[in-house]
Amino acid sequence: MPSAMKKIIILALLGICVGTSLRAQNNFAISYSIAMPTGDLNTFIGTTSFRGIAFDYRYTVRDNVAIGFSAAMNTFYESKSRDTYTVDNISLTGKQYRYSNNIPLLATATYYLSPEEPLKPFVSLGIGTMYSRRNTDMNLYTVELEAWNFALQPEIGIQYELSDMTALHLSLKYMHGFQAGNELTSDQSYFSLNVGFAFF
Amino acid sequence: MKTKLTIVLPLMVLLGACYPNGPEYVEDADVVATSYDVKYDFKSQSTFAMPDQIVVDVEIEQGDTTYEYMAPKFATVILDAIQKDMEALGWERVDIDEDPDVLLTPAAISSTTYFYSYWYDWWYGGWYGGWGWYYPPYYTVSSYTTGTMILVMADPNQASESPINRSQAVWTAAANGLLTGYYDIARVTDALHQAFAQSPYLKTN
Repeated sequence: MPSAMKKIIILALLGICVGTSLRAQNNFAISYSIAMPTGDLNTFIGTTSFRGIAFDYRYTVRDNVAIGFSAAMNTFYESKSRDTYTVDNISLTGKQYRYSNNIPLLATATYYLSPEEPLKPFVSLGIGTMYSRRNTDMNLYTVELEAWNFALQPEIGIQYELSDMTALHLSLKYMHGFQAGNELTSDQSYFSLNVGFAFF
Repeated sequence: MKTKLTIVLPLMVLLGACYPNGPEYVEDADVVATSYDVKYDFKSQSTFAMPDQIVVDVEIEQGDTTYEYMAPKFATVILDAIQKDMEALGWERVDIDEDPDVLLTPAAISSTTYFYSYWYDWWYGGWYGGWGWYYPPYYTVSSYTTGTMILVMADPNQASESPINRSQAVWTAAANGLLTGYYDIARVTDALHQAFAQSPYLKTN
């Protein structure tokens, strides 16, 4: 094979690679989600949740702008030690098991700071709803409070390309669900650290 | 899409497996509840009377009421615990004839909740037309039994102010837990201690 032709082939291949990485691609990220409760949720359960999963789909509409959806589930749990709870003239002593299941469902807009680089930092804003279900188990009973919160979720993160098809995905989200309904009387919020992979 | 599913599925299994646990021991479900009459002046009282036995059941047959009592080997332990706790709060136990300021009436009840489920199975009727149901081929039955120790304090002197000549309870305590076959009386006395501990207003001068 003439060396000139070799060069052309190599250059052409390089051109394809450069061409594909010029824009952030549509991607689907699956992450393990660690969550730290804040606000009212933190008052209810003070412990970090290591039970969570997040799904994020991003569809590129411009070189550095993507729209998509985000769904996650974060389960908070705390087993309280035996304690006395007093309301007016009634006192109740027992062990409480507290659960909060939070499922955000959001539409997202993402801005990539350097879509052409292998390391792509991004900022994102999600808007939608979060289903919150809070259970307080005591004795043989559970008190269940539910809400569909209007939710906002700012997010910062990075995607680091490992290959043409996969990237490491790391992000920090702040989920804020505004008070809704008459069961849960406060906003529900938490930070989540999401570590996973994005697939192009 | 296939590769994505192979990742999602194990993750879901993993998440399902690590869903948080709840109570592990029967004691974890034990609760003690107390309430009191906020208008009642406990401080100015000093003596109490209580029976030597604990009612566990009431039978009414042809108008005759008979009480069933807890076996003395359990009842004595429980009554002793109540007396010690009352004395620690400054009360003195007197006989029912000695005009006590308040009466304490302990009672213990148990209740068993059964729950059973069955499900239908279906059959296909061949030429006779259509589908149908036959039932109920499968049963599962479970039950749990809870025990409740109830302690009621009433002031007999209030009876005269009541149209039905009865005194309202000025303090009630209820300790509830799952019953086991071990008859661990310490769970009951612990619960009673807790009932007094969470009721500091019972202290007399």
